[in-house]
Amino acid sequence: MPRPRRALTWLAGLMAALVAAATPADAPRLATLDWTLAETLVALDAPPAAVAQVEAYHAWVGEPALPSSTVDLGLRSQPNLELLASLAPKRILISPMFANLAPRLAHIAPVTSLPLYSPGRDTWSEMRELTRSLGEMVERPVAATRLIADTEARLDALQGRLDDEALPLLVVQFMDGRHVRVFGENGLYQAVLDRLGLENAWTGSTNAWGFSLVGIEALAGLDARLVVVKPYPAGVRERLNAGGLWGHLVEASRGSPIVLPPIWSFGALPSAERFAEQLVNAMEPDDAA
Amino acid sequence: MPPDALASRPPCRPRLTSAWLCLPLALGVLALALDHLLAGPGLGAGFAALLRASLPAETAETLVLHYAWWPRLAMALLAGGGLALAGVLMQQVLRNPLAAPTTLGVASGANLALMAASLMAPGLLGLGREWVALAGGGLAMGLVFALAWRRGLAPVVVVLGGLVVNLYFGALSMVLLLFHQEALKGLLIWGAGSLNQNGWQDVAFLAPRLAVGALLAWLLLRPLAVLALDEAGARSLGVSLKHLRLAGLGLAVFLTGCVVSAVGIVGFIGLAAPNIVRLAGARRLGARLAWSTLLGALLLAATDLALQRVSGHLPTLIPTGATTAALGAPLLLWLIPRLRLGGATPPREARALGHRHPAPGRLAGGLAIALVGVGAVAVLAGQGPDGWQWAAPTDWGVLQWRAPRALAAAGCGVMLALAGTLIQRLTANPMASPEVLGISGGSAIALMGAIFLLPAPGNLTLVAAGTLGALASLAVLVGLNRKSGFQPERLLLTGVAITALFEAVKGVVQAGGDPRGQQVIAWLSGSTYYVDPISAVMVAGAALLLVLVAAPLARWLDILPLGGATAAALGLPLARARLALLLMVALLTAGATLVVGPLSFVGLLAPHMARLLGFARARAHLLGAALTGALLMVLADALGRQLLFPEEIPAGLVASLLGGAYFMWGLRRL
Repeated sequence: MPRPRRALTWLAGLMAALVAAATPADAPRLATLDWTLAETLVALDAPPAAVAQVEAYHAWVGEPALPSSTVDLGLRSQPNLELLASLAPKRILISPMFANLAPRLAHIAPVTSLPLYSPGRDTWSEMRELTRSLGEMVERPVAATRLIADTEARLDALQGRLDDEALPLLVVQFMDGRHVRVFGENGLYQAVLDRLGLENAWTGSTNAWGFSLVGIEALAGLDARLVVVKPYPAGVRERLNAGGLWGHLVEASRGSPIVLPPIWSFGALPSAERFAEQLVNAMEPDDAA
Repeated sequence: MPPDALASRPPCRPRLTSAWLCLPLALGVLALALDHLLAGPGLGAGFAALLRASLPAETAETLVLHYAWWPRLAMALLAGGGLALAGVLMQQVLRNPLAAPTTLGVASGANLALMAASLMAPGLLGLGREWVALAGGGLAMGLVFALAWRRGLAPVVVVLGGLVVNLYFGALSMVLLLFHQEALKGLLIWGAGSLNQNGWQDVAFLAPRLAVGALLAWLLLRPLAVLALDEAGARSLGVSLKHLRLAGLGLAVFLTGCVVSAVGIVGFIGLAAPNIVRLAGARRLGARLAWSTLLGALLLAATDLALQRVSGHLPTLIPTGATTAALGAPLLLWLIPRLRLGGATPPREARALGHRHPAPGRLAGGLAIALVGVGAVAVLAGQGPDGWQWAAPTDWGVLQWRAPRALAAAGCGVMLALAGTLIQRLTANPMASPEVLGISGGSAIALMGAIFLLPAPGNLTLVAAGTLGALASLAVLVGLNRKSGFQPERLLLTGVAITALFEAVKGVVQAGGDPRGQQVIAWLSGSTYYVDPISAVMVAGAALLLVLVAAPLARWLDILPLGGATAAALGLPLARARLALLLMVALLTAGATLVVGPLSFVGLLAPHMARLLGFARARAHLLGAALTGALLMVLADALGRQLLFPEEIPAGLVASLLGGAYFMWGLRRL
């Protein structure tokens, strides 16, 4: 992972933050620890003033990019409280994963915990709800409604481009040369596949984040086209090319595997749209040439 | 069978031999394997899939059998055999029944090297993971030897040195993980030792190397057998001991490195198999090598096959390596009382360590002033959004974030330092520390359980869970050591076993890739982050109270390091004194661990530094260590908050990194 000039970017962010503080912005200043909330806020055109691990956000979530004025709060699991307090945010947004921090954060500003991927709930409608609550919080309910409508319209349009009898898909991400995360029920990719009318070949159990960690052999015998979400860990592509079970799975699968650029697998609507976009583009027949 | 072995036992008693041990295991492996094949395509097709000879149309089932199941079985046998072979070699060369790839730090060194390589030089991994792993493992073992060199590589010291190196490398990996969780998630699986295969490449890599290793071991058999004699005896036979030791250990590290780079860290096979074979009566080196290798292979294969059966339907992977480590911990607890460690020799207290200061009171006064000074700087100076700045002493808006943390850090430092002083004097071992007793480890296991099993646990719940875990460890410690009268070596080894269990649980938790793992890492790395003003005052108050309770124990502490016999002769109620001190250590450790995590080295370091400064008598030593501990922790907390601002390195980790490095350096001179 690259380690760019942290101090410089931070300084730049600081100066921009000072400028922003001088001219009162229309949206209230928010801070968030959660990248999924951050990407949704950016998509609502009300980017948070401060986010935890900005550099890693850009490495793993990528788009939509945070404005350069965003202040880095430090680690997601232990954001810098002193810095956070000095920024005096109007509200701090977290996901239930950070619940143990809530009492501390509450000393600084009101804390709101927004759930996503709650077990037993329909992911897509939860995503909609999340977007609406965020829209209200930044006083941009119209933007939220528009984001939902735009994303759904975009996905509908993408669905129209698909063949009627598209093959079932199997979405995986490599952890090393022998293990993959395979994505299924209760996750982002599943929600997108559902909306696109595509079938997920993985019907096995998944954890609370919608994936299951398995050895490659667990993918055998599933009649599907393979979808690999990058990045490949160091040295893994070479090992996979050397043959072995993966090579035979690729042979036995339907069509050549689809390789997608990195997409945040625990994201909300913006990540969902990116995934859908990349996936459908890659599935179009002329793309095979 | 050597005649003396026969003569030593009554002939009528049925004997457990290595063969009788391996047979049921082999049958078990066979049964599990056959059962798997029968449940699948049937026996004929199953074996055909191994060779892939007569299968015109490949079904998914035979594909998996050929490319995943059979190689996995072969890999389990190979890796288990290789680790056991390495274990026998290490135990023979070091004449230490507790030497093993994991206890000597080879595995954790390899792990750290791979982590560092994948972050800083991924190109190296393309060249060959095994070489990176080998380099790291060799380095770690070198460090362990350097630590134990002056004590003549005594068994317990080597194992404790390995534990310290394991803890230190663990702390370093924890820092890397804390900042790069997403990038390192694959290595977490590797670190927990998974045997899943993607074809025959890894088997093809490992098999010839192990064959060469086994051949070399066979060639070294006769000279190595001489090592079982004592030093003088071996030398009189004209063997170059140094070269022989080096060759034996080099071979063992090579075997370990190959296995570890192929499948990751597999715990305890290398420790357990040779010891079980020895307990089963194998005496000669050749017999031990052969039977251990076989037993190791069967143990790992049986564990792995059983695990595959059980875990098939779980949404997460249960790595085999961590499982063997978890199963091995109780086994080690059972083994410890049965091993001959030569613990009867009186402990060699390092009397030369430090001079005696003429006026310890004045020295303590100086330390106290330094503590206040460092505390003031830590609280008042810091980076904010506008860079470095001094806060006014009345600026509560800023101080409310810093003062409680400094106070809590000081309190934890005091508690750990007291615990360390007590345990070091109790065991007359300068390498002992509360971390070593496993109380921290037990507390951490409970914390992990709470984070994963309870929905969104609050801090109070976590504290309660941690305390329960510490108490459970204590119960194990007391229960297992009451019989031996809390003999120091046994006590420490019990701690090693609990710590190993902690490592195993941590491995399983992290390998799953659950985003909550980040929270676990944050908790384990030990930070004053979660301290608020009220809990800070409570921690500091508890520290003060325990200082007052500890002061009257000083007389016992002056006598105990003289050895059990002397202490008893002086009229000390030995078992009762040890139990009371032990309870005290547990309380102190649990209190501190809940705040700064299980990894800090302050309990090891502060008493040691206090000795070097010249605090010699027990009462002065306690006071000096408490002040040093507080100073260290306040400093570590302040540094951790400022070094990578706005990201914070937890105080426990900073303390381990600073303290561990200093400690290893200092011990070399000891």
